Amino acid sequence: MILPLILAVYSGPEDRALVERLKRRDPQALAELYDRYGRLSYSLVLRVVRDKAIAEDLVQETFLRVWNRVHSIDSERGAIGPWLLAIARHRAIDYLRSSAGRDRNTAVELDETDHAPLYREMEAGILISDQVRRVKAAMEKLAPNHRTVVELAYFEGLSQSEMSAKMGQPLGTIKTWVRTALQSLRDELGVAVSSS
Amino acid sequence: MNCDQLREHYELYALGIAEEPERGEIRDHINRGCEVCGAGVKRALETAALLGASAPAAQPSPQLRHRILASVGSEQRRFGFAWVPVFAMAALLLVVAAYFAVSNRRYADDAARLRSQSARLRVQMRAQAAEIVRLTEAFAILSGPSTTEASFGGKQPQPPRGKVFVNPSRGVLLIASNLPRTPADKIYEMWIIPKGAKPVPAGLFQSQDDGSAMHVRPGMVDLASTAAVAVTVENEAGADQPTTTPLIVAALAP
Repeated sequence: MILPLILAVYSGPEDRALVERLKRRDPQALAELYDRYGRLSYSLVLRVVRDKAIAEDLVQETFLRVWNRVHSIDSERGAIGPWLLAIARHRAIDYLRSSAGRDRNTAVELDETDHAPLYREMEAGILISDQVRRVKAAMEKLAPNHRTVVELAYFEGLSQSEMSAKMGQPLGTIKTWVRTALQSLRDELGVAVSSS
Repeated sequence: MNCDQLREHYELYALGIAEEPERGEIRDHINRGCEVCGAGVKRALETAALLGASAPAAQPSPQLRHRILASVGSEQRRFGFAWVPVFAMAALLLVVAAYFAVSNRRYADDAARLRSQSARLRVQMRAQAAEIVRLTEAFAILSGPSTTEASFGGKQPQPPRGKVFVNPSRGVLLIASNLPRTPADKIYEMWIIPKGAKPVPAGLFQSQDDGSAMHVRPGMVDLASTAAVAVTVENEAGADQPTTTPLIVAALAP
């Protein structure tokens, strides 16, 4: 299960060269970007929307968005993989919201987190397999309720109020679970992620 | 709020579930270049990226790669490949339609309607996909920092008017108005005219009913050795070299 991720998410200096080529509108660079991150982004989007055809449409939108906005990423210091995943998640959750008729004003706010400049100076190899394995292990260590709230926030885009309604728990309890879960993840992944 | 008070909210912000006023405060800190909050949010975004990579591995269909590359004009559309889902749907509709037509004539009208809708959908999807490719290419040329432009037709009484945009790495974009309708068996052909060499064909196009046209020739262009971009009227199949006097000549600055 982990081998495809190793092959799909390896990143590093090659990513920087890839961004430069994307900025020069080299279509072959887009092919390589897809070969590197296509499976990963598809897995993420499919986990969110749970429909293969819709997931493929959203992944296509994601890559086109990257192609059209690649000028906004810093090719020397930007991390295109995490940025691409943020866009993919944003597209997928947007789809979930629109198909469920959820109120965008009370739902989570994603627009602020897929701006390319936020991904400057991010660890180039953030998505390498070892770290992916660590986050999976950290997720498995969480208490079931804590894991659920993280998954509801990340994969379903639910706000804490929406989680409260969905899980039938007081908002204060949900906030405590979210805070505790994130603290645990932070402690577990503190070494894995960049410490700069 | 100071950075210490916001520290607990970086992950919430990265996941998109931070609430006001913390969300606005973090945004303000980032916008004014706060290094503490910038680094904190960056680490939280890294964690978020890792969460994304923790989704169960899944394999997209091989067609997805072709679709993505075709949508930026890097691959020719594979008529029998990228449209398999559409044709499969059309085939299914036809089978269903045939069954109902034989078993009960009451369904004949519905079957015809389904066939018609299927065909219309197929045509619309193909046209829309092609148009998206064309607009993406045109936008890439227009937005390129190294794009050069040239006007044509400004001094003629009843001319085609418009502009040509040339980007060395992205191609040539022609936008024209007042183009006369071509005869039934004729078509417009664009040419890239090198300095001291024969014109090079750069694609065929037709004008709209209102006389406007947008034509894109994607690909590399050696701007230094290109003298002009021209358009002639040619037979429907196009020509290797111009056979009529150019209707449009846009000279590029030397």
